[in-house]
Amino acid sequence: MRKYLARGVAAGAIALLALTACSERSGSSGGDSADSGKGFPADALIGVALPAKTSENWVLAGDLFVNGLKEAGFQSDVQYAGASSTVSDQQNQIQAMVTKGAKVIVIGATDASQLSTQVKAAKDAGAYVIAYDRLIKNTPDVDYYVAYDNFKVGQLQGQALLDGMKAKKPNGPYTIELFSGSPDDNNSAVFFDGAMSVLKPEIDKGTVVVGSGQTDIKQTAIEGWKAENAQRRMDSLLTSTYSTGKTLDGVLSPNDTLARAIITSVKGAGKPLPVVTGQDSEVESVKSIMAGEQYSTINKDTRNLVKQTIQMIKDLQQGKEPEVNDTTSYNNGVKVVPAYLLPPQIVTKANAAEAYANDPILAPLTK
Amino acid sequence: MSRVKELQKSLFAGTTSNARQFGMIFTLVAIVLLFQILTDGLTLNSSNLISLVSQYSYILILAIGMLMVIVAGHIDLSVGSVAAVVGIIVAKVMQEYDLAWPLAIVLGLLVGAVIGAWQGFWVAYVGVPAFIVTLAGMLLFRGMNQYIGSANTIPVPEGFREIGAGFLPEVGPDTGYNNPTLLLGLLVCVAVVIREWRARRTRREMAAEVWPMWISVIRVVVPLIVIVFATLRFAGGRVGTSFPISGIILGVLVVIYSFITRNTAGGRHIYAVGGNARAAELSGVKLKRVNFLVMLNMSVLAALAGMIFVARSAASGPQDGLNWELDAIAAVFIGGAAVSGGLGTISGSIVGGLVMAVLNNGLQLMGVGIDRVQMIKGLVLLLAVALDVYNKNRGHFSIIGSLMRPFRRAAPAATTTPIESGQEPAKTPVAG
Amino acid sequence: MSDAPVLLEMRGITKEFPGVKALSDVNLVVRKGEIHAIAGENGAGKSTLMKVLSGVYPYGSYTGQIIYQGAECRFSDIRASEQAGIVIIHQELALVPGMSITENIFLGNEPGRGGVIDWKAANRQALELLARVGLQEDPDTLIKDIGVGKQQLVEIAKAFAKNVKLLILDEPTAALNETDSQHLLDLLRGFKQRGVTSIIISHKLNEIAQIADSITILRDGRTIETLDVKADGVDEDRIVRGMVGRELHSRFPDHTPTIGEVFFEVRDWTVRHPISPDRLVAKGSSFTVRRGEIVGFAGLMGAGRTELAMSLFGRSYGTYVSGQIIKDGKEIVLRSVSDAIRHGLAYVSEDRKSLGLNLLDDIKTSIVSAKLAKVSRRGVVDPVAEHRAAEGYRTSLRIKTPTVDEGVGKLSGGNQQKVVLAKWMFTDPDLLILDEPTRGIDVGAKYEIYGIIQQLADQGKGVIVISSELPELIGLCDRIYTVFEGTITGCVERRDADPERLMKQMTSAKKA
Repeated sequence: MRKYLARGVAAGAIALLALTACSERSGSSGGDSADSGKGFPADALIGVALPAKTSENWVLAGDLFVNGLKEAGFQSDVQYAGASSTVSDQQNQIQAMVTKGAKVIVIGATDASQLSTQVKAAKDAGAYVIAYDRLIKNTPDVDYYVAYDNFKVGQLQGQALLDGMKAKKPNGPYTIELFSGSPDDNNSAVFFDGAMSVLKPEIDKGTVVVGSGQTDIKQTAIEGWKAENAQRRMDSLLTSTYSTGKTLDGVLSPNDTLARAIITSVKGAGKPLPVVTGQDSEVESVKSIMAGEQYSTINKDTRNLVKQTIQMIKDLQQGKEPEVNDTTSYNNGVKVVPAYLLPPQIVTKANAAEAYANDPILAPLTK
Repeated sequence: MSRVKELQKSLFAGTTSNARQFGMIFTLVAIVLLFQILTDGLTLNSSNLISLVSQYSYILILAIGMLMVIVAGHIDLSVGSVAAVVGIIVAKVMQEYDLAWPLAIVLGLLVGAVIGAWQGFWVAYVGVPAFIVTLAGMLLFRGMNQYIGSANTIPVPEGFREIGAGFLPEVGPDTGYNNPTLLLGLLVCVAVVIREWRARRTRREMAAEVWPMWISVIRVVVPLIVIVFATLRFAGGRVGTSFPISGIILGVLVVIYSFITRNTAGGRHIYAVGGNARAAELSGVKLKRVNFLVMLNMSVLAALAGMIFVARSAASGPQDGLNWELDAIAAVFIGGAAVSGGLGTISGSIVGGLVMAVLNNGLQLMGVGIDRVQMIKGLVLLLAVALDVYNKNRGHFSIIGSLMRPFRRAAPAATTTPIESGQEPAKTPVAG
Repeated sequence: MSDAPVLLEMRGITKEFPGVKALSDVNLVVRKGEIHAIAGENGAGKSTLMKVLSGVYPYGSYTGQIIYQGAECRFSDIRASEQAGIVIIHQELALVPGMSITENIFLGNEPGRGGVIDWKAANRQALELLARVGLQEDPDTLIKDIGVGKQQLVEIAKAFAKNVKLLILDEPTAALNETDSQHLLDLLRGFKQRGVTSIIISHKLNEIAQIADSITILRDGRTIETLDVKADGVDEDRIVRGMVGRELHSRFPDHTPTIGEVFFEVRDWTVRHPISPDRLVAKGSSFTVRRGEIVGFAGLMGAGRTELAMSLFGRSYGTYVSGQIIKDGKEIVLRSVSDAIRHGLAYVSEDRKSLGLNLLDDIKTSIVSAKLAKVSRRGVVDPVAEHRAAEGYRTSLRIKTPTVDEGVGKLSGGNQQKVVLAKWMFTDPDLLILDEPTRGIDVGAKYEIYGIIQQLADQGKGVIVISSELPELIGLCDRIYTVFEGTITGCVERRDADPERLMKQMTSAKKA
């Protein structure tokens, strides 16, 4: 027995030495490959970490990334956070991508402030980090930001709301309600501020009245961008403010998912439909616009955004500096992140056919 | 006694309940090796091991407290919310009042203690079932997190981040490894040897038969190999990384709480209360005090876990701690604790938590989406507990027991088992 | 009797559990219309045999044949055996406390159509069944509101609802007092006259000798013999001899008490019922215990003996109203169990499974659990000291177990009781209160427990024994107090004690 034991121990020890001989320290001294100009292999792994599948847009973006990266010759790892514990899921997914040796990690953050440890790990491992659609905050380790111009989105929404109401009822004053996105999403405030930059002057003039008086972003925020939360808020607004016969002319909704929830709520209460804005060009909302229910959405063609992101990745691969068009506006608390901003487009029933002409899914809906 | 049984029994120092852990450890090793192959060696890669520890240390800290809660016959659904509210309070005081981070940690633990005292009061002294008290707490403290933080994400200063994202410093000569981690590994090795030596001495003092030397050798050598391997891995990561500080906090807590639950009168009382509350009370155990302290302790650990997560995330947000209670509870039950209380060990729960962690991590490394990961985790939880129940009903105690059945035939029939051994002991009348 | 046709024959039954042969080639012949007793020590295989018969262990999990009403039966579960008219009533009753008598009688067997219960028919049938078992109770009464004796009768009524032909009773009188037991035995005789066959498993040999027509004795999973009670002139000693395989000369060990002075006294102890405060469970009770003395408490079930004992033991029961405890000449106030333990009191509960032991624990943990401080330093348990203490009791009390690391749940009743005794002996008490210390324990183990009690007394401790078995009290105690409805009605010295006299005092409020 002892003899076997001794042999077993010896064998184990040898195996152990063999296993541990490869310390990762000798390999990379850390952080060097993040310096621009070096590039990386054309078939490198690209990680894409997206939020939970709560909106069609993220699902579409994921599919586009998978296909686009494949076409460009990269290997891809596209992950969504779980529906329940989104933040820690995403943290772990990014960490796994780092471990797998991804060269570029594209992040659509669930909570833009809670990723700095993972982004640092990515940076230390020599990967580039691109913030996709949502700016990652409080970290020096984000390289680029790609998004639609979200302040512009807000402005367009505000303008569309005013236009829509004017078209229905030529003279004011108009009664409206305001909704804004999830408080942990950096973009929510940008949308809201953009819209308010258009609406505020009208409110001050008295031509537009916020029926419930809730104009603070803390009051209008919808936790987690969740439809059920928007519907719940709308239900209570209808009960508290509009049960006595006051008519609601318009609702500022930051995106399509919430817009549809708001419409559902109004319908449920048996009230006439107000003008409701939106964003994202989701299939159901385009249908709703064509049916004359939702008034507008924003076309931020995800294809273009993904295309732009992949272009950046290709540039990085070849060791080129990717193109950016805004190097001043996006301060994440630690540094100003160079950004490439794409222009958004407002879509109503009037211009839908034209706007979606190139979209294989949406185009048939507009006919 | 057969070799296999002897080994099984003495490898885990004593009673049959420990033999269940044998199965769990076996499962863990199997899963690790499986993923090591499936991920082309990424699973046991330095940086992955390091991130694995820092990703799950806070869940495992919760599992320690949850084990004691479950052993005492309760449950705590509020841990995630407690973690979240403590996180936001700590983040806020550091941001707005510039409180030094060490003081902020103390404050966080105090807040946890106050919350724990609140829940313990309702459970122990009013007698509201813990399920209800903590369900209420789950809502109460989640709401409190959003009320205090206005549902915003609040960043925390660098120093504080160390407890969640920090590493040991690089000191000493250039060995190609992180020296403090090597030292830590050495200390653990020494501890393992001393522990075995003391176990043998204790057996001798009991005048009980001491297991043969070859078993002791296995009991020392196998863990040593694992520890040396792990140490080199943890120490051999990228420069600037080491065994995570959160992992050290976890390790210290595991050692302390294992000692408390196993070797102290207080720990005994928790098991007594969970096993048979009325009998414990009639043996002089202060039932209310035990229940109170168990709930209090859970919230303090939840506070710590919350702070570690906030430190790791560099900010406290409204989604912190979502569903943590479920992860912690799952770890405890996979680790062999009984739903009805009275059974379970800290080490079992840690192994149970690690099984889930390695599974999660391995699947993520393979690029499996979170949807399928959740499905797999759900099934693993169900199967692990079902196998346990099945084995217990059949009078086998462990997964390993069923795996090793073919070897048992060679052994002479156990003479130690009384007639009733084929039946569930707790429910069968003694007459026969 | 022996010429009656055979109703049931079990032939060569062998049942194995992993590693253990619980039954080995057991044979049993039961004739129509008889009362057949099965006797044997704990672990002899009685319950296992009945579980084989009733289909709890289905066909295929044992070997051997069951021939019932002339045909071989292969029951797959309890339902199958019940359909054949074999109904087993377990020691632990299978009644739902929150449901009415009627609901319980027809549980799983509800009269009606398509799942809709015909309550009118159910109540009518329930009344008939209750009349048959001699229970006068409104069928709408909830089970929890009637006593154990009546619950037992409801179980039997439930059996009749299933058209029972062969009734199996496992320890039917274990939880019953003398009167209820007698009533139940009478009932069984009545059933016999109406042609119902019964099998009864009991530890109470006097009952077996009194009621059974034939007795099958099992020992170590084997059939030892079948006795014809009338023809063979069977008495208790004869049964005991079969069960233990040797002659037991006396049911009690010889003992000469050495009694000292009074050291423990209770004066005017009054306690309220915890739920209905106008009920007093102890009314001005006063008694004394002397060093080295074994004091008995006799009383019917529900007389308040247990309640009195528990209320003394750190107010574990009821609401304290008034009264004094004087120990060694000084008054002591016991507000909690730990106070009581500190002052040298120990209480061994009548219900060792739900109040005495944590069945998940191992033996050594159980033994030290009531005074952990004795084996620990600054709150840390010393495993060596613990092991030593437990080993000591294992040898001195002869607890049958290979090591003290075994779980207590695996032990037989007698050995569990020894562990409970060890647990309380470990607290170094001056006064031990033993509540039904031999309930559910077989003859051999009883003898040993009596010996332990006597030893404790000889060490100068006071021992209070509460028991429902009068012969036990008379054989063991130096003095016996009788209790009736919360009042101590008298005190009888050992030499004057006889069952009639005790019974008279136990059933009337008049002080003797």
